[in-house]
Amino acid sequence: MHHVTLRQFFSAWAHVGLQSFGGGSTTLYLMRNLCVTSHGWVSESEFAEYWGIVQIAPGINILAQTALIGWKVARLAGAISALLGLLLPSISITIAITALYAMIRDNPWTAAAIRGIIPATAGVGIILVVQMLRPAWQQAHREGRASMVISSAVIIAAPVLLVLTTLPAVVLLWGAGIAMAILFWGLHITDGA
Amino acid sequence: MDPWLLFWLLLKASLFSTSGTGNMPILHHDMLLLGWASDHTFAEALAIGQITPGPTGLWVISLAYLVDGIRGAMLAVIAISLPPFTALGVLVLYQRYGQHPAMRGFVRGLTLAVASMFLVVLGQIMTQAGIDWRSLGIAVVALGLTASKRIPVPFILLLAGGTGMLIYAP
Repeated sequence: MHHVTLRQFFSAWAHVGLQSFGGGSTTLYLMRNLCVTSHGWVSESEFAEYWGIVQIAPGINILAQTALIGWKVARLAGAISALLGLLLPSISITIAITALYAMIRDNPWTAAAIRGIIPATAGVGIILVVQMLRPAWQQAHREGRASMVISSAVIIAAPVLLVLTTLPAVVLLWGAGIAMAILFWGLHITDGA
Repeated sequence: MDPWLLFWLLLKASLFSTSGTGNMPILHHDMLLLGWASDHTFAEALAIGQITPGPTGLWVISLAYLVDGIRGAMLAVIAISLPPFTALGVLVLYQRYGQHPAMRGFVRGLTLAVASMFLVVLGQIMTQAGIDWRSLGIAVVALGLTASKRIPVPFILLLAGGTGMLIYAP
């Protein structure tokens, strides 16, 4: 344990959970400040390596990153207390706001507000998609034409199949992953960086 | 509503996807098929998830609350808390095979498919909510403000809510 009790560890993560308005990037920024800059629980390069790993780990990236850092500091107890610390405040507020919303969702004013928020959520969502696609596309560009062609095919085929077929989304997601794994391996596509 | 089935759907969507919104296409498919949620419910949950603190992925707690109350929310909390522990196993795999072309190809395929399918689901939600020039205007302004990074996302959504009240209220 890096000179910190489990209770202090939990409190530090709860602090991050309470402050992280604005989604994943804010949370990640606060986590980096806490773990690298303030306490040195992980090094800058470990933090970056973990962030690479959680891109392929199931579930919410930020939570997986939290579990890895917690594990490094105090094994299972660390992973659990870090996750609980990060999640408890956020979960409580999310449930409270949803419960409040559920009580007033039939009110005409609430319905009007939601009619304004839905398209805004779509606008924000498009930026999320761009943020997801951009690094993958830049990497494909470095890897060469074959990688770009395969990437384009997946970007087009996945949504088209989602709309035109009854295949479950999970099959399409994993199908895309497995198809690209086979093609990358077969064509020996290596990191072009 | 069968709570075990709900829990399994939430867990499955989280286990077989990555990132905070990667589970959305899977849940959208399953929930609509069962008739447990509509496009509108997804839109509501996504909006609340953007406003509240913490990772964006907590939107799924709102979704589960809206379809099954506090029990659903608790099931969602458990369902999203378990998968991160698999990262400990992935750490070992990554350190051994992280640079293998098949591993990199798999991650890339998953990322590209999630992003492009997410766009389709967003389109379906927007269409279901009703598209007119006013809603398109709000979407474009929100997109521009988010891209500029000058205003935090929760404020952009609150602003959109206020605008909605002004133009859609009876």
